[in-house]
Amino acid sequence: MEQLTNLIISDHELDTITNALNKLMNDTSASSVMLLDKSGQVVSSHGTSTKRNATSLGALLAGAFSSSRHVAELLGEKDFRTIFQQGVHENIYTTMVEEQWLLVIVFDKLTHIGLVKVLSKKTSEELGHTLERVRADTDRQKSSVLNIQFRSSVEDTIDLLFRD
Amino acid sequence: MALINISTHEIHCKIVYYGIGYCGKTTNLQYVFKSINPSVRGEMLSIATETERTLFFDFLPLDLGTVYGFRTRFHLYTVPGQILYERTRLAVLNGADGIVFVVDSQAEKFEENVQSIRELEMNLRRIGKEMSHFPLVIQWNKRDMPSALPVPVLERYLNRRCVPSYEAIASSGKGVYATLRSVSKGIMSQL
Repeated sequence: MEQLTNLIISDHELDTITNALNKLMNDTSASSVMLLDKSGQVVSSHGTSTKRNATSLGALLAGAFSSSRHVAELLGEKDFRTIFQQGVHENIYTTMVEEQWLLVIVFDKLTHIGLVKVLSKKTSEELGHTLERVRADTDRQKSSVLNIQFRSSVEDTIDLLFRD
Repeated sequence: MALINISTHEIHCKIVYYGIGYCGKTTNLQYVFKSINPSVRGEMLSIATETERTLFFDFLPLDLGTVYGFRTRFHLYTVPGQILYERTRLAVLNGADGIVFVVDSQAEKFEENVQSIRELEMNLRRIGKEMSHFPLVIQWNKRDMPSALPVPVLERYLNRRCVPSYEAIASSGKGVYATLRSVSKGIMSQL
């Protein structure tokens, strides 16, 4: 199936995502919760532990997930959807939202992994509905953002910044 | 897939540098890192072996600033070039918006380059993209090497789709920005 070339998230949908992530963070007492695109880009990030390095974390977490998924495939796994990284102080649980986003929960030893699994599954389903709406709405939103003025302005900026 | 966040006014795009081992993918990113205005770039991240060969990927985030009300960011990645890392290359390709295929122009690397571009085409298909409809730029790197093949020969065998191509000597920066400009504009025109 040909993939969409972009995904446009409206104010309203970002509010929905923010609320879902904050609720999950509070209910699990997690130190951070992030929503990433599978390409490694950060859709939304909340909490203290990931604040400073969100961009690098996004790239590494998505890379690690994608790599683990290929490992699972080589081992004959059919539907690999989660990774649990157990650290000395902080644990990271990553789960897929549909085939597009990654929900990442960072939590310490005071939170039980079982609680994270159950509640992240629920949040992941909610975010799946949000993703469906975002996909459906992307074409409508496109013309308001990617107009001629934007395209010409970004070309000028590329010429200005990417020069010898 | 480019991500456009209306609430935070941000646009994110992912560019992947692809090609055989030692063709100069990491060198391209390193040159951009050291030469671009420091306010534009973030930290460069490299997951490499002890001998500095790329094990997983290099990552360089660039922030173009606010363009027509939108903060525009390009994330540059490289893949590991060695043949045995094919799965890793596929993992890094995930969600790419544009690709720079870096060619080592030396005659002795010709066959490897041919295999690599075939693999790229197959990998793109695996992630649901067709090379013919995808922003792709080719860089003829290492033009300063004595055994570098003439560009028309490389064009004939490696650029059958006639995508934009640029001669380069990435170690000295020649052609690095021309390539980056071209792929960036290609991505923007397809958004």
